[in-house]
Amino acid sequence: MSNYTENELAKDLENQEYKFGFVTDIESDTVPVGLDEGIIRLISSKKNEPQWLLDYRLKAYAIWQEMTEPEWAHVRYQKPDFQGISYYSAPKQTKKYESWDDVDPEMKETMKKLGISMEEQQRLTGVAVDFVMDSVSVATSFKEKLSELGIIFCSFSDAVQEHPALVQKYMGTVVPSTDNFYAALNGAVFTDGSFCYIPKGVRCPMELSTYFRINAGGTGQFERTLVVADEGAYVSYLEGCTAPQRDENQLHAAVVELIALQDAEIKYSTVQNWYPGDKEGKGGVFNFVTKRGICENNAKISWTQVETGSAVTWKYPSCILKGDHSVGEFYSVAVTNNHQQADTGTKMVHLGKNTKSTIISKGISAGKSQNSYRGLVQIHKGAHNARNFSQCDSLLMTDECGAHTFPYIECKNPSAKIEHEATTSKIGEDQLFYCMQRGISEEKAISLIVNGYCKEVLNQLPMEFAVEAQKLLAISLEGSVG
Amino acid sequence: METIVSNKLQQFVVGLDPTQMSMPHALQLTAQNHLLAQDFPTTKSERFKYTRLAKLANAQMSNSLLLEKAQLSQQKILTDAYTVYINNKQIILPADLPSGLQIKLNTEEPDTFHEASFYDVFGALNILYAQNGISIRVAKNCTLDKPIQIIQVNSGGKYFYRHHFNFGENAEAAVFIVTKSTTDSNSFAHTHFQYDIAQSARIKVYKIQDCCAGHFDFHEDRAKQNATSHFEINTLTLDGSFVRNDTMVAVQGEHAQTYLNGAYWLKEEQHVANYTTIDHQVANCESFETYKGVAGDKATAVFNGKVFVRKDAQKTNAYQSNANVLLSDSASVNSKPELEIYADDVKCSHGSTTGQLDENALFYLRARGLSAATAKTLLLQAFMEDVLTYVKHDEALAYVHQRIAERFDWNY
Repeated sequence: MSNYTENELAKDLENQEYKFGFVTDIESDTVPVGLDEGIIRLISSKKNEPQWLLDYRLKAYAIWQEMTEPEWAHVRYQKPDFQGISYYSAPKQTKKYESWDDVDPEMKETMKKLGISMEEQQRLTGVAVDFVMDSVSVATSFKEKLSELGIIFCSFSDAVQEHPALVQKYMGTVVPSTDNFYAALNGAVFTDGSFCYIPKGVRCPMELSTYFRINAGGTGQFERTLVVADEGAYVSYLEGCTAPQRDENQLHAAVVELIALQDAEIKYSTVQNWYPGDKEGKGGVFNFVTKRGICENNAKISWTQVETGSAVTWKYPSCILKGDHSVGEFYSVAVTNNHQQADTGTKMVHLGKNTKSTIISKGISAGKSQNSYRGLVQIHKGAHNARNFSQCDSLLMTDECGAHTFPYIECKNPSAKIEHEATTSKIGEDQLFYCMQRGISEEKAISLIVNGYCKEVLNQLPMEFAVEAQKLLAISLEGSVG
Repeated sequence: METIVSNKLQQFVVGLDPTQMSMPHALQLTAQNHLLAQDFPTTKSERFKYTRLAKLANAQMSNSLLLEKAQLSQQKILTDAYTVYINNKQIILPADLPSGLQIKLNTEEPDTFHEASFYDVFGALNILYAQNGISIRVAKNCTLDKPIQIIQVNSGGKYFYRHHFNFGENAEAAVFIVTKSTTDSNSFAHTHFQYDIAQSARIKVYKIQDCCAGHFDFHEDRAKQNATSHFEINTLTLDGSFVRNDTMVAVQGEHAQTYLNGAYWLKEEQHVANYTTIDHQVANCESFETYKGVAGDKATAVFNGKVFVRKDAQKTNAYQSNANVLLSDSASVNSKPELEIYADDVKCSHGSTTGQLDENALFYLRARGLSAATAKTLLLQAFMEDVLTYVKHDEALAYVHQRIAERFDWNY
């Protein structure tokens, strides 16, 4: 290392644009590029699916063909060529691993780079990880411990094989294929995802977590997650993503459905860090996700998200507050840098009596990015004493970025109370000055202020996620001082 | 112009004569292009998401019936003002204007037209079919001794008006625009207001919308504001079954101040929609928006406010608020306060609330011997007074109070 010069270090740093940008060389089993009924049948047969699921896919495909891509979002991008995508890719070895040692060492290496070494996770944190590389789940841990409590936590395809009745009962009930263009596409071609069922009255003792990865070149990922918390159950679910650096755009159109039955509570946390494209806005992941949960009486759904990645984000985790006294929460930090574009927010649909919702959204725009909050608070006629509080703040780091707020507030009940407030401003110069005066560098000061600004949301994250999220915020805003 | 009646919108304009105003060809072309193959917008279109136009599309307008001069002059609300009367196609201009004030017919004195800036089919139709309108010029350094009052009464028929205001440098004026309609008549009026506000002018516009059921009152305001000017539009919707206001202010000079305020008192099946856009194009400007309303019975209120801050509009200070009180189970409120910001050194905020009266306040009043109804009325009056404080004219304010008292049984 003696001849490692400063120049070389600088070069290394320059190339270190995206920390998690790497491609794992594993032989993938990929279906031909393009989409038609044949491909859907092929995916379905490869996954050995029952007839009803194939029918579901074909119906979704028919619906999708009738739909057009939504254009109302405040984002601009080259529309993906849906015929240029390979809709299925699975690591070649199809046999399941008996033990951790059997796992492909290369994949272990990948996980290490991601900082989620399985050994460490297993030993230290007690987090069960359902690791999804491309579209087939490879390793699942803590399964036994969970099954003792009757908790089902497995990949979606396993659930289809092992618990078809449960899947059939709940799948598509919150996000039907008719919902939107991407949900329909997902319904037709989804490959895998996670399934989680918490039985009546069970409090899930650990945080369930899935790491999603996009790997093989040119494959879009169409994940489907279904979380069902039966009466009185509680679960905290974590979802985090990192994706390798790619030049071509990768499409990610996931569907997440949460079902909180009476008295149940679901906490769903996401740290999203897909590849955002390079400094010139080339490449990056298109993240077009439909996330929605339904609350029965006294149930609660809480969405927390930290969005730092993706070239284009189109995502509105929503709550349908169907039951009386149900509660919906949405906490979000969305950071955009360089040429990233995000149009994200939530929908709170109040149907039941005494329903409550809280929306806290913090947007940070840097570089030449565009960051929009788009939310809907809808109070239906029967939602007596509904209560909503929304706060949407935006922070602008440079004079080339944009921050926008598009809240929709619709009220049809006179006993409802709705408050919405939004602010947009620059990072406080006096705050920066205060920090710098005390010897803190500008970058660190910004990171400090931004972390403080996001505290309300970060506090909602489970501990180990919160640490990760803070690091992510700092990385995302590197060199963004305007 | 060749017309092929194939949809409701084309049917709607059958019988209307093309405009007589000497309008720029490009403007007309833009409007024509916009209308190609267009029908009435549906609730699928973003700007009509909450407004169903079926009622208008299917409405049978009554025959135009001109009012007598004496009847018309009874409609005025200010006794001492330069008053213009507009009744259907007829326009009566005031005599004896002071130097510095000029009021003419827009067909006689062609004014400069702004570039096309309409958001919907009605704005485009206005360009093609505007028959009437006035052109008001207030000269440089002129401070008007009394306000200008425009009384627009519709009694049957469909009308498109185009009024132009030109306020010279350092001019000061107050303009009251009163729209009314006669009972038992179905009519439609779309009025385009174009304001040019020169440097340092101080202009206050008050709109008093007091139409009867059966009238469709559409307003389209387009303003251009220059440096250090002060511009206000206060829209008070007292009555009218179908009201739609679409206001856009382009702030083009530094240190300008813009106020857009609105108040609406709704009951029965009223539908009132307020759309505002403030386009901050330059730095160091301020804008304030306050819209407040109460909605009872089966009324629907819509507010959509947009604050647009362009890249160069640094140091913009923009505030927007919309507050509503729902008075009945069947009333509804739709609010969409938007911010679209491309400059970083700005302070922009908005707030929106929908709810009911504070129970503690109600209790406080009841504990002091006020009846439930009186306490409620008092609090609602106070709630709405925020906007009414902008009305700096006693006679106008008295009129507003009296009309609200009549309609809502609120005694001021």
